[in-house]
Amino acid sequence: MIAQLIVRNLFHRKLRTLISVLAVGVEVALVVVMVGLTTGMLQETAKRIEGIGADIMLQPPSSSVFLAFSSAPMPVRIRDRLMTIEGVRAVAPVLLQSSTSGGLDVVYGIEPESFRAVSGGFVLHEGRELREGYEVLVDDWYAAARKLRAGDTLRLFDHDFTVVGVVEHGKGARLFVPIRTLQQMFGAADKASLFFIKCARAEQTPRVIEQLRALFPRYEIRPLKDLLSMMTTSSLPGLDAFHRSMIALAIVIGFLVILLSMYTTTLERTREIGVLKSLGASKAYIARIFLAESALLCAAGILVGVGFSYLARAVLTGLFPTLSVQITHEWLLRAAAIALGAGLAGAAYPTWLASRRDPIRALAYE
Amino acid sequence: MEPILKTENLWKVYRSSKVEVPALRGVNFEVYPGEFVTVMGPSGCGKSTLLYVMGGLTQPTRGRVLVDGNDLATLSDAERTRLRRHKIGFVFQRFNLLPTLTARGNIAIAQHIHGNGFDPHRFATITRMLGLTERLHHRPAELSGGEQQRVALARAVIHEPKLLLADEPTGNLDTRNSEIVLGMLRQLNRELGQTIVMITHNPEAAAYASRVVHMRDGVMVDGIPAD
Ligand SMILES: Nc1ncnc2c1ncn2[C@@H]1O[C@H](COP(=O)(O)OP(=O)(O)OP(=O)(O)O)[C@@H](O)[C@H]1O
Ligand SMILES: [Mg+2]
Repeated sequence: MIAQLIVRNLFHRKLRTLISVLAVGVEVALVVVMVGLTTGMLQETAKRIEGIGADIMLQPPSSSVFLAFSSAPMPVRIRDRLMTIEGVRAVAPVLLQSSTSGGLDVVYGIEPESFRAVSGGFVLHEGRELREGYEVLVDDWYAAARKLRAGDTLRLFDHDFTVVGVVEHGKGARLFVPIRTLQQMFGAADKASLFFIKCARAEQTPRVIEQLRALFPRYEIRPLKDLLSMMTTSSLPGLDAFHRSMIALAIVIGFLVILLSMYTTTLERTREIGVLKSLGASKAYIARIFLAESALLCAAGILVGVGFSYLARAVLTGLFPTLSVQITHEWLLRAAAIALGAGLAGAAYPTWLASRRDPIRALAYE
Repeated sequence: MEPILKTENLWKVYRSSKVEVPALRGVNFEVYPGEFVTVMGPSGCGKSTLLYVMGGLTQPTRGRVLVDGNDLATLSDAERTRLRRHKIGFVFQRFNLLPTLTARGNIAIAQHIHGNGFDPHRFATITRMLGLTERLHHRPAELSGGEQQRVALARAVIHEPKLLLADEPTGNLDTRNSEIVLGMLRQLNRELGQTIVMITHNPEAAAYASRVVHMRDGVMVDGIPAD
């Protein structure tokens, strides 16, 4: 019976209901998409690094796995010491740069030979491998997104590069240039941001890591085999804080929207409250009506929010095909819980007001 | 016979900010089971206030109100609510139907609040007696004033209250609809033994009752039953 009253009331004020539902939907989508975007980028990066085929990654102290923000490089000649470790078969230095021309892309500066030795080489879709100078290899996704073919020109770091080939995706980055070119452009002669290490046999990886730890105590040394499973939001400092602020923002939106909506509702339905009280409705009965109505608004908003999230992902990945938005059930549930919690908190005050309204004054209310 | 309702030196003083308005100043009033009593009196003499206090919608300032043996003055807010739920039915001048629900919904929500479940027999008896059978699926906006007040009447008596309290139930109705509603009140009183206290300004309406009492300036000026 209450259900009928609530649904009728929500339909009675279609515009307000619609706006509240949309706002809760935006709230939910905000959390889901923002978290999905960051974890998606993180996972994507991890997957690509894993896909290189190296066994170990060595980075300078306090570097992040999230390669777009990499720290100061180290000398390439560290390689000589790495090669002396028993079980190491190949070492590839990589210099990283982030290109901001049309999205945030990581560019790998590589030595074609050592990178091939570590990764087993690129699968070329067209064109040829890198040699030297202002040449760039792009992966097939990037090529598709930017409509690039071998022989085209791509502008990176304010310089024209020739696309010499298109390669299969999944080898660390989407863009590869000769390491020397990148070193020259950024005044980082003989520097590398990280080393990929290939062991002679995969089983030797733990032993090699042990020795690396002894040699480079403060360096970040990661086995790449389970990089993906190890990848959590806490692997990037700041990401958790970012997520927390998104959640805080969502809570504020949800709280205010339901507060305002339910406050106007209780004002508008003052007489109704008086009538229900005259019929013998208790405070709890009145409170139940308004809380249930708020919960229903939130529930509808959550459904809309789930829809918005998938829609936003479709739009985002449509516009930026290299983007990955990871929508997980876990975060959908969390966003739903946030929306419901914030909504009910927002409904608390109007509900309290409604339940303790003096019936005589309520009945006299115009 | 014990009165179903009895007030003893009943006072109600409204306190709004700094002014004190004594709306009831020592009302002594009794209603016996099966009576149909009308209360008449000039505007502002405290008739509605008396009805609200008797129905437990507000606490008296002083004195006693006994409803079916319970002294409302000593009850907590929650206890008064419970008493109102089970023993009182209200009808107002403004019909006060819930606008989003149909006639049936308005009656059903009253039953839901009373918590006795849906009693189809009672529902059928009441809606038939009030001539609502054909109008049950209409919303208040689609009903005439007379029909709305009959729905309000059905809602007020669906749970067999000990006492039906009506505050100028025909105040918003034309003569014809007034007569219909008053006739139904009398029918409820005669056929189902419903005890009724009705406020009215209209002497013709008062004629439907079994007894008329008069109020002035917050007190009864006559009407103590002459038994
Ligand atoms: N909520 C309130 N706060 C303060 N004063 C009130 C309140 N309700 C009623 N009064 C005052 O109490 C007195 C009695 O009011 P009440 O409504 O009981 O009169 P009434 O006999 O029903 O009048 P009417 O015939 O016009 O309906 C009036 O002077 C009124 O102004
Ligand atoms: Mg009145």
